[in-house]
Amino acid sequence: MSTSPENPDRALLAWAKDRYPIGKFVEWAKHKTVPIGPGAFWYYFGGISLFLFLIQVGTGILLMFYYKGSADTAFESVRFISAKVPFGWLVRSVHAWSANLMIFSVFIHMFSVFFMRAYRKPRELTWLSGIVLLALLLGFGFSGYLLPWNELAFFATKVGTDIVGVIPVIGEPIMYVLRGGEEVTGSTLPRFFALHVALFPALLTVFIAGHLFFIQMQGIHEPDAWKAHPEQRKTMPFFPHFFMRELLLWLITLNILAVLAVFFPAELGIEADPFSPAPAGIKPEWYFLSTFEFLKYMPAHVGPLEGEEFGLLLISFGFLLWCLVPWIDRGRHPRITKIVMVAGVLILVFLSTLTYLGHVA
Amino acid sequence: MRKVFAPALIVACVALSADARAEDLPADAGAEDLAADTGAEDLPGGQCLECHLSTGDGVAELWQDDVHARAGIGCETCHGGDPVQADSELAKRRGTGYQGELSPREITSSCGGCHSDVEYMKVRKPLLPVDQLEKYWTSEHGKLLVKGETRVAQCASCHGAHGVREVNDAKSPVYAPNIPAMCAQCHADADYMSDFDIETNQYDEYTQSVHGKALLEKNDVRGAPACNDCHGNHGAAPPSIDAITNICGACHSYNAELFLGSPLAPAFKEKSLADCVACHGKHFITHTRDEWEGDKPGATCRKCHEKGEEGSELALYFTETFGSVRQSFEEIEALLTEAEMQGMDVTEGEDYVEAARQGLMQARTLIHSFSKPVMEEKLIEISENQAAALEEGFAALQALKDRRRGLAISTLLLLLLTIIVAIKIRTLPPIE
Repeated sequence: MSTSPENPDRALLAWAKDRYPIGKFVEWAKHKTVPIGPGAFWYYFGGISLFLFLIQVGTGILLMFYYKGSADTAFESVRFISAKVPFGWLVRSVHAWSANLMIFSVFIHMFSVFFMRAYRKPRELTWLSGIVLLALLLGFGFSGYLLPWNELAFFATKVGTDIVGVIPVIGEPIMYVLRGGEEVTGSTLPRFFALHVALFPALLTVFIAGHLFFIQMQGIHEPDAWKAHPEQRKTMPFFPHFFMRELLLWLITLNILAVLAVFFPAELGIEADPFSPAPAGIKPEWYFLSTFEFLKYMPAHVGPLEGEEFGLLLISFGFLLWCLVPWIDRGRHPRITKIVMVAGVLILVFLSTLTYLGHVA
Repeated sequence: MRKVFAPALIVACVALSADARAEDLPADAGAEDLAADTGAEDLPGGQCLECHLSTGDGVAELWQDDVHARAGIGCETCHGGDPVQADSELAKRRGTGYQGELSPREITSSCGGCHSDVEYMKVRKPLLPVDQLEKYWTSEHGKLLVKGETRVAQCASCHGAHGVREVNDAKSPVYAPNIPAMCAQCHADADYMSDFDIETNQYDEYTQSVHGKALLEKNDVRGAPACNDCHGNHGAAPPSIDAITNICGACHSYNAELFLGSPLAPAFKEKSLADCVACHGKHFITHTRDEWEGDKPGATCRKCHEKGEEGSELALYFTETFGSVRQSFEEIEALLTEAEMQGMDVTEGEDYVEAARQGLMQARTLIHSFSKPVMEEKLIEISENQAAALEEGFAALQALKDRRRGLAISTLLLLLLTIIVAIKIRTLPPIE
């Protein structure tokens, strides 16, 4: 490779190659493949989630230039961003919409992994790290929802933290720490802000790195049928074939985001007033609606437990089972696999139905 | 006077006799011992209470909640008698000062005996005024009582006799929202009032008035006036013409100030017109409307001003100007709503609208100055705010157009990029 001044790009590459094992990385990238099977389309949602996360980081940093995270200033600063900062409305709307699309995309990614049984050995930790990532994203959503300090967010946070407080033994201390006191007040906002822009991003970065590391180490899951029929095995190179297709979807996603931001910009509502009564019809964001709705159907008491305590116990048990799926279904007993798959379908129907009921309630 | 007689004749009074007054403070041990002996839940009343509990006349029951009972004042303070004696004859025997039922005149003396005594009251209820009786004698009720008319209201008529409660107790008949109905017991009774030559429609009118609705429907205890706020309570009397602006001005101070400084104040005085009442009415005071002005027949100003007169022209100016301002609000609201419905932030525009609305409210108050230059100054401020709101609305709609244009351009660019990537994918080496 020439290092002549007439070819500066190559000169730079050569300079880097002299110092770093770039060649090995290029070789690895050249040989990285992605399976082409009936469910190949669903592989793209992991990448779409990552793309939306990068948009979140970019727009989040821009919003932080103007956002003021205290109860006295938060609402006005968001109003200023929406009304006065050039393209502030766009940045805020894209941030809000990409957060929703990202969680939606992560749900699709998780269920596609589930139904393709990609959680099985050796990918147990990939599955678990993915669940942690989803939990962190829900935490991002919950903490970010309060930041504009408007009435809806204020009371939704009150309801949300009330639910946390129902958890036996540890619930109340957690609720107290989250709220910064007995109630949701101006002290709550800086805590949520700190979680949203410091703790959660740090944890998310670590877990994304771990999640990607596991995927690169073990490769992308291949359809089970290929084990019995290796002749059916078909793959495409990650670079450039899969990457270009992923890029195509990213562009489409970006355009969808732009359309949503222009036609349905993020609303601000009215400023939170801790002393005003809660308005009617307070609901959490759509990704918490199923939990919210489920708890509403709980009776007042179940045995010695409060209805909400019992509901949370059920949800926690279900979540634990969901985490343990790789160990429940190891692929050794078709009957167990069938039960797990049917349970997955039922969970999907259950979550969708409750979300819909919560939306129309 | 059934409203007066029923409770009034029961109330106690040996007020002018210093010996009979409750000299001891509420914490007095003797009173507590007496209550304990009678078993009447620590309330003073002794054997009087024991007997009256059994007669079922209701007096003893009312006494349970009476502020005087709670303050340790016993029956003998007003009625005399010996509360230690279980035998009724002995309790009421000669020499005990027993008075039984009190006449209306005796009631005022009995209550006033303590409540007018500064030394007595300042150690028991220091914040309570002590001029009630003095004012009462200046009231129409008091004046008639002095003349021997016993059908007039005295202390017990309004406060009750044995169930006297604090004024701010919602169960008290003199708690603000209860006052109109309490006064109406006599003043809305045409038969009862027939000898006094007073109208009896005040209560009906008041309940339909802006004040009545605020007090009785919205329970605006602190803001809305009851009968006593205008007429006085202990010194109740119809306000004189000279007093009206001051009475209304107690709450509507700016309006009163503007009116007293206006050219209409001396003119009203000259014609003996009752200031505020001349235009707004008395008990049936409703929300003002811009249509009240103007020069059409029936308009308020036409009561005095003929069409074409200076006053009538000013009224016409007010009504036309306000009409124009209101119409501008409708146009601005339509514009801002259109922008908001399409997702645009119009908060700043709404702030200008709010400022203009505040201005209009102030302008309506400024009518009381009856001055065109004063009004013009305010109208300039209103129109500036309205213009700014309009500008915000148009800017929001323009920004919306710009956003959509920007979206179209970015969509085209993204589409172009998408096509390039798609072509690139097609030109990639085939997958093996």
